[in-house]
Amino acid sequence: MSDNTNRLTKILSLLATSQGSGIGGTPVCEVATHVTGCTGASIMLLSDDHSKGSLCRTDDVAAFIEETQYALGEGPSIDAYLSGRSVLAQNLRSLSVPHWPVFTPLALDKGIEAIFSFPVRIGAVRLGALNVYRSETGALSTDQRSDALVLSDVAARTIVSLQAYAAPGTLSQEIENGANFHFVVHQAAGILSEQLGISVQDALVRIRARAFTDDRSIDDVATDIVNHVLLFDNDLSNEDKD
Amino acid sequence: MDFMPREASIIRTLVELADNLVEEYDVVEVLCNLSDRCVETLNVDSAGVMLASASGDLQVVASSSDAMRSLELFEIQANEGPCLDAFRSGEPILNHELLQNDLRWPRFTKRALDDGFHSVHALPMRLRGRTIGALNLFRISQGSLTANDVLAAQGLADVATIAIIQHRASLEAYELNDQLNQALNSRIIIEQAKGKIAESAKVDLDQAFVLLRNHARNHNLGLTDLCRYVANGTISSVSIDQFTPPTPRR
Repeated sequence: MSDNTNRLTKILSLLATSQGSGIGGTPVCEVATHVTGCTGASIMLLSDDHSKGSLCRTDDVAAFIEETQYALGEGPSIDAYLSGRSVLAQNLRSLSVPHWPVFTPLALDKGIEAIFSFPVRIGAVRLGALNVYRSETGALSTDQRSDALVLSDVAARTIVSLQAYAAPGTLSQEIENGANFHFVVHQAAGILSEQLGISVQDALVRIRARAFTDDRSIDDVATDIVNHVLLFDNDLSNEDKD
Repeated sequence: MDFMPREASIIRTLVELADNLVEEYDVVEVLCNLSDRCVETLNVDSAGVMLASASGDLQVVASSSDAMRSLELFEIQANEGPCLDAFRSGEPILNHELLQNDLRWPRFTKRALDDGFHSVHALPMRLRGRTIGALNLFRISQGSLTANDVLAAQGLADVATIAIIQHRASLEAYELNDQLNQALNSRIIIEQAKGKIAESAKVDLDQAFVLLRNHARNHNLGLTDLCRYVANGTISSVSIDQFTPPTPRR
């Protein structure tokens, strides 16, 4: 019986018996937290080198990790997705090379001391990344890393299996349930592009910048735009007075 | 660990099937192993697996013996028999005694008796409400499978089902990932266009969606295409038809 088999058998039985709801109701994030001995976990869906949103998360901090990378376009999950390799930051305060100049201080402010990201893929097909984070520093054991990789594999196959049931051209309802694809940000970008007479792409940049300068989540800023609570000034020299 | 031989063998099968989820494997080989293992571990003489093709027709994929294989092929040609019924209904057929002058499957029963089989069982292979095939268990002697045998057989059928679906998923991973991304991108473009129309027409997002759908229909455009033109400015938001819902008849 191979080591991988033991591991998969363990992971599958944990998925079958654990509480929680992740992709298609499968408690992937809860099991990831458990097997890695971490504080929380999330799974991000990526394509075209960008985050498309979060499929599932265990808590608000895990949600913050995804949202921040979505807004900034940098962070461990994006690196894991792009490189196809595990990204292991066991001590965010002393990374050996400068990593994620904007993401890292924000993560530390949230009490995240260590973060680990694993590519979610099937062979060469890249789907996203699994993140686990810890509120104390410290490396994952070899065993914990191997469990996380097997779990990423199960997550990847679960995602494509669920999409196989979706009607052509539509998103699998089971994938969408519990996911956050930041649709409100795109609604806000449409509104802002009309208000300011700028392109939707430029509007997205303005929303991201606003979230960063106001230290708010991008979804919150977008929700205020949609509700006409937050109005932007078209004069860039006098940016964004409410 | 001190397992009874049968439990040990069933666990070995489960582990082999699980192993195949992470390793490259030949799905036919997996199902042949499953058939052989059913004969070894359950109180049956022959076992076989039928799977539905993309068009929904059943095909014999694995059999523990040649006699079993030709009987299963006959069943498909005659379009009657326990495996077909289990597949079509999604319900197991258990402990069906084969007797002369059977009214349910007259042609299948005659042929099966000629081949020396006297009782049949068929278990649907199901996952998430869809049936992808059936596991067929035939016995030479009459008599019933025990409740434990039935549970073990359904367990094997379930794991084989997962193995097959995961295999199909990885074969189609490129395509499915592509579909997922296209569906998601199309949703994003629709949300952007909804935002533009909501702002320019001073309506809420739901009403904006109705306007877009109506305009697409009136101008014979695909909804996603229209939304892309609106979002990228090719079509000005103010030129979208303003739609007044028809007054419902009293």
